Amino acid sequence: MSQTDFHYQKKDLPAGLSKIGLILFVVGTVLSLLAFFVDQERAVFNYLVTYMMIVSIGLGSLFLIALEYIAGADWSTPIRRIPEFFAGVLPVLLILVIPLLVFNHDLFHWAHEEAVVEDKILKGKAPYLNVTFFVIRTFVFIALWSLFYFVMTRNSRKQDQSKDQMLTKKNIRLAAVFIPVFALSLTFTAIDFMMSLEPHWFSTIFGVYFFGGTVVAALAAITLVVVKLKEKGYFNPWMNDDHLFSLGALLFAFINFWAYIAFSQFILIWYADLPEETFWFLTRWNGGWVYFSLGLIFIHFLVPYFALLTQPSKMNPKRLKFIAVWLLFAHLFDLFWLIMPNMGSMKSGYVFSWIDLVFPIAGIGIVILIFNYRAKKDNLIPIGDPKLKRGIDFHL
Amino acid sequence: MSIDYSQEAPTVAGRLTLAQIEELVARPMDTKPNKKYFIALSISVSLLLIGATFLAFSLYYGTGLWGNNQPVGWAFPIVNFVFWVGIGHAGTLISAILFLLRQRWRTGIARFAEAMTIFAVMCAGIFPIIHTGRPWLAGYLTPYPNQHALWVNFTSPLVWDVFAVSTYFTVSFVFWYVGLIPDFATMRDRTASKLKKTIYSVFSLGWRHSNRHWTHYEKSYILLAGFATPLVLSVHTIVSFDFAVSILPGWHTTIFPPYFVAGAIFSGFAMVVTVLVFVRKIFDLQHIITLDHLEKMNKVILLTGMLVGYAYAMEFFIAWYSGVQAEQFVFINRAFGPYAWAYWIMVSCNVIFPQFFWFKKIRRSIPAMMVIVILVNVGMWFERFVITVTSLSRDFLPSSWAYYKPTIVDFGILLGSFGLFFTLVILFTKSLPVVSISEVKAVADGAQPTHHGGADHE
Amino acid sequence: MNSNKKIFGIAATFKTPDEIINAAKKVTNSGYVEFDVNTPYPVHGMDSAMKIKPSKLGFVTLVTGLSGAAIALLFMYWTMSVDYPLVIGGKPFFALPAFIPVTFELTVLLATVSTVIAMIALFFRLPDNKHPLHDTEYMKSVSADKYGIVIESTDAKFDEAAITDFLKKLNPLKIEIIYYPEEEAYPIFQPKFIMLLVVITLVVSGGTYLMLNKLLYITPFNWMMEQDKLNPQHSSELFSDGYGMRTPVEGTVAKGFIPYPYMGQTNPTDVLSNPFLPTKGNIELGKGKYFTYCSTCHGYFADGDSRLRGQFPNPPTLHSKRAREFSDGMIYHIITNGQNVMPSYASQITREERWAIVNYVRVLQRAKNASESDLIEMNKETGSNVTN
Repeated sequence: MSQTDFHYQKKDLPAGLSKIGLILFVVGTVLSLLAFFVDQERAVFNYLVTYMMIVSIGLGSLFLIALEYIAGADWSTPIRRIPEFFAGVLPVLLILVIPLLVFNHDLFHWAHEEAVVEDKILKGKAPYLNVTFFVIRTFVFIALWSLFYFVMTRNSRKQDQSKDQMLTKKNIRLAAVFIPVFALSLTFTAIDFMMSLEPHWFSTIFGVYFFGGTVVAALAAITLVVVKLKEKGYFNPWMNDDHLFSLGALLFAFINFWAYIAFSQFILIWYADLPEETFWFLTRWNGGWVYFSLGLIFIHFLVPYFALLTQPSKMNPKRLKFIAVWLLFAHLFDLFWLIMPNMGSMKSGYVFSWIDLVFPIAGIGIVILIFNYRAKKDNLIPIGDPKLKRGIDFHL
Repeated sequence: MSIDYSQEAPTVAGRLTLAQIEELVARPMDTKPNKKYFIALSISVSLLLIGATFLAFSLYYGTGLWGNNQPVGWAFPIVNFVFWVGIGHAGTLISAILFLLRQRWRTGIARFAEAMTIFAVMCAGIFPIIHTGRPWLAGYLTPYPNQHALWVNFTSPLVWDVFAVSTYFTVSFVFWYVGLIPDFATMRDRTASKLKKTIYSVFSLGWRHSNRHWTHYEKSYILLAGFATPLVLSVHTIVSFDFAVSILPGWHTTIFPPYFVAGAIFSGFAMVVTVLVFVRKIFDLQHIITLDHLEKMNKVILLTGMLVGYAYAMEFFIAWYSGVQAEQFVFINRAFGPYAWAYWIMVSCNVIFPQFFWFKKIRRSIPAMMVIVILVNVGMWFERFVITVTSLSRDFLPSSWAYYKPTIVDFGILLGSFGLFFTLVILFTKSLPVVSISEVKAVADGAQPTHHGGADHE
Repeated sequence: MNSNKKIFGIAATFKTPDEIINAAKKVTNSGYVEFDVNTPYPVHGMDSAMKIKPSKLGFVTLVTGLSGAAIALLFMYWTMSVDYPLVIGGKPFFALPAFIPVTFELTVLLATVSTVIAMIALFFRLPDNKHPLHDTEYMKSVSADKYGIVIESTDAKFDEAAITDFLKKLNPLKIEIIYYPEEEAYPIFQPKFIMLLVVITLVVSGGTYLMLNKLLYITPFNWMMEQDKLNPQHSSELFSDGYGMRTPVEGTVAKGFIPYPYMGQTNPTDVLSNPFLPTKGNIELGKGKYFTYCSTCHGYFADGDSRLRGQFPNPPTLHSKRAREFSDGMIYHIITNGQNVMPSYASQITREERWAIVNYVRVLQRAKNASESDLIEMNKETGSNVTN
C-alpha cells in the first residue's frame, strides 16, 4: 500500500501547558484538602462532581475514537490523537476513584446499614446497592475502560511505524465490541455514582442523559484543543476549515441530543406527576436551586444552540473556542445540578460555599498534566493510519 | 481479506457513466410493465382490497368487530399505527441524517427510502382516522372556530400526534418533491411521449438545472435535512409520549422516547433492506444500490437492535431497582404471563437474531439478510403489541385483568395496510425514478472537478 | 434558423466538470455578468468560480420558523389559558412543557414549507415552462450528462460575434444560439392562467358553500347537530302530553332553600328576633337594600311619600304608632310574607339583608321620633343646636 510521506515532524506542545497544569493541580489539590477538613461532606460531594467530569472527558473521548472506527469516518483521522490523549485519564481513574469509595458513607444513604434496615425500598435494592458489589463494579468498569484504551491506542501508536492496515481492522473490531461495553458501563456508572445518591429515585433514561452530556464535554475538550493547536500551527497543513465545521456540527448535534433527553426525562415525570418520581425535580426547584435548573436550560442549550446555529459559526475558530469552554463549564454545571442537591443540607436550597469552586481547578490540572504526558509520548498525527490522506483531503 | 482502508469504496460501482446511470434509472418508466409486475401488483392490491373490505365492515357495523375490550382499549389500531410510523423513519434518516453526516452512500437509496416514508406514514395515518369508528366526524377534532369556546386539548399527546404526524408527512413529502424536481426535468428532456412531457413539465416547474438555482437548492436541501432530522426524532418521541405520559407500569418510563426512536430506525431500515433487495434485482440497479450499501444498512440494523436491547435491559433493571411492585410485576408478566409467546418472539427477533450481523459474511449475504430483516419487522410489530397489550391487560387491579384476542377483522385491516404500502411501492417503481438521478450522478466517478481547492462554502 | 427571432443568449456545452469550472471562471473574469451555468447536478466549486454569493434562503427559514413558534405559543396560550381554561392533570393553565411539542412541530412545519415555497416562487421564479432554454438541444444535453454555460443577450458586453469567438476558444463540444420563443407571452394575462384562477375560485367557493350549507346537514355529518337528547322548547314523544320540558317533581326545592315556617301566619313575632346588632356596617347594608326595595313605595324616609302616593291604596308611612310598635320580628315577617298589597320579598332579599333592613327602619323611626336625650346626645356629638 503506497502511503504518502506527510513530512511530519514531532513538535512539543507549548511549554506553558504543563506549567499551567501543574500549578492548577497543586493549587487545586491544596484548596481541596483544606475544603475536606472544613466540610467533609461538601468536599466529598464536590470531589464526585469533578471526578464525573474527568470520567466524561476520558470515556467520551474513547467513545469518539471508537465511533470513528466503526463509522469509517475519515475527517477525524488527522485529529484522532487528541481524544486518544484525553482518554489517557481513564487508567488514572483507578486512583482517583479511591476517595469516593473510602468516603462512601458521606455520599450514599444506602451505604449506611442502619438506614437500609429501616427502609423497605433500600432493603429491596440491597443486592445491587451494597458496598462490596459497588466497589467491584467500579473497578471492573475502570479496568475495562483502561483495557480498551491501552489496546486501541497501542494499535494506533504501532501503526505510526508499521503502517499495517491490520491494526485498523483490529481497532474496528475492538471499537465494535467496545460500544456495547461502553453503553452498559457508562449507564451503571451513572446509576451508581449519581442516581443512587438519591436511592429512592429512578429513571430509565438516566444513563442516556449522562451519555449526552459526556459526549458534549468530550467534544468540547477536543474542539478546544484542536482549535488552539491549529491556530498555533501544529496541524498545518493537515487540517482545514471543513474539519472545524465537522467538529462544530457534531457539537451542535449533541447539545440538541442532550436537550432532547433532558426534556424527555423532565416532561414525562412532570406530566404523570407521581410523587415517587417528581420529588427529585422538586428538590431542584427549592430555594436557590431553581436558578440552577433554569440556568441549565439557558447555559447548556439555548446559548450554544444559537451560537452554533449558522453554517459559518460552526467553522469559526473564535466561536468554537468560546463555545467549547462554555460547554465544558455547562457540563460541569450539569453534573453539579445532578449531584449536589442530594446532599442533605442542600436539599432545601443552594447555599454558596467557596468549596464548590476549588475541586474543578485540581481536575483541570490533572487532565492537562495527563494530556501533556501522553502528547509527549505519541505523535500528534496518526501518520500510519491508512485513512489519513483522505482525512487530510477532506472537504465538505 | 484484502480491504484497503485508504481507499473509499466507490459509491457507484462499475464505473458507470452519467448516461448509463440515467438510462438504468429511467428504464422502468420508459418501458411497459411486464407480467411479473402485474403479478406483484395483483397480490398487493388483493391484500389492499381485503383490508378495505374489513374496514368497510368495521365502519358500518362499528368497532365492536375488533377485539378491543376492557381493559385493553388500545390494541391493533395503535400497534399498527406505531409500527407504520416507525417504518417511515428510516426514510427520513437515510435522506436527512445521513446527508448531514456526509455519508455519500445514501444517494442510491435515498429516493426510495423517502418514498417509503411517505407511503408508510400514509398507512400509519389510516389508523388514527378509523380507530374512533366514525371517521366522518374527524373534522371536529381540529381546533375549528366555534361559539362554545371548545378547543382541543393541546396538552394531550394524542393532539401532539396529530401535529407531529401531519408535519412529518408534509415535510417528508416536500423534501421528497424538492429532490424530484431535477429528476422531473431530466425526464422531461429525454421523453418522447407528448403526454409524459406535459406531465413532467408541470411537475418539474420548469427547472433548468441552472447553477444559480442549484445554489439555493442546495441550501434548501441542507435546511430541510436540518429540520427533518429533529422532526423525525420528535415524531416518534411524541408517539412514545402517547404511552409514557401515563402512569401505567410498563408504559410510564423515561427511556421511551430514545427507545422508540431507535426502534423506529431499526424497523425502518429492516423494511428498507427488505424492499431494496427486491428492487435492485428486478430493476438491475445492483451497481447503484450495491452490496456495500446493504452491508452498511445491516450494520445500522445491528446497532439500533442493540440500542433496543439496551432499552429492554434498562427497563428490566430499573423495574427491579425501583422497588415498585406493579412495575416489577409487569416485566415478570411479560416474560411468563399469558402473552409470553409474544414477548419471546419479540426478544428473539429483535435482540438475538440481529446479532448474526456481527459476521461480515452474513451482512453481505442476500438470503441471510432477508431472513433476518423480515424477522426484525415481525419482532418490532410484536414489540408494540407487547408494550400496548400486556401493560393494559394486567395493570394495577387484578379484578380488572382480561385477556385480549384480536379478531379476523383486526388482522384483515393490518393485512390491508401492507397491501396499501406495497401497492404504492410497486406503482412508484414504474412512475417515478426510484433512485435520485441527479444525486447519484453527482457522486459517480469523474462527476466532480479534480482541482478543487479550499473550503467550499456552499 | 430564423434570423428575425430575438436572441436570448449563446450557449456552449462541455464534456467534463473540469472544463465547465474553467469556462465559468474565464467568463466571470472576462466581466460578463448576465450568464448562467447549467449542469445536471451541482458541481463542486461552481459557486466560487461564478463568484456567486451564498444563498440568503436561511433568513426566510429563520423568520418563518420563529413565527411558527410564536403563532403556536400564542394560540395555545389564548385557547388554553384565556378563552376556556380547564384544569387538566393538575397542571397550570399555561403548561409550558406540554406546549413544547406542538410549538416545535409548527415551527418546523412553517419553516420548511415557507422555505420551499419562497425558494421556488421567489428565488427561482418558477414554475416557468416558457423559458427560452426549454426544448433546446442545449437543455437536453445539460439535463443528461453535459455541462453548459449561457451568456445572455441582456449582458452589457453582449456581442454575438465576440462571444461566439470567446466561447470557441474554450473548446466546447458545441455552441448553440438560443432564441426567445415565438409567442410573446405576457405571463400574467394568459387566458390559461385566468381560466385556472376562475376554476380555482369556483371550486373553492362552490366547495365551501356546498360543504357548509349542504354537506354538514346530511347524514352522517349532521349527527352532531341533530342529537337525540332533549333540547329546550322541543316536543318529545316520550311524554303523553308531548312536552319536552317538564315541571320539577313535586317536593323539589331550589338549592340552598331553607323553608320559612311562618308563611301565611300573621303574627309569629314572638318567635323571631333580630340576630344582627345594629352596627354601622349592618345599618349601611340595610340602608342600601331599603333604598333598592322599599323606598319605591314607602319613600326614602319611610313617610310613605313615594311617587306611588295617590294610587289606591297608599303605601303607608312606617312612622305610625302601629308601625313603631311592631316588633323586629313582625317587620321581618311582613317583608318575608308580604301583607295586603305588598308582595313577599323573600325571593329578592336574603334573610340577612331583611334583618338589616329592619335595623335601618328602626333608625328611621327613631330619627323621626327622637327623644330629648337623643337630641342632646346628637348636639353634643355634632356640635349642632337642634331642639324638638
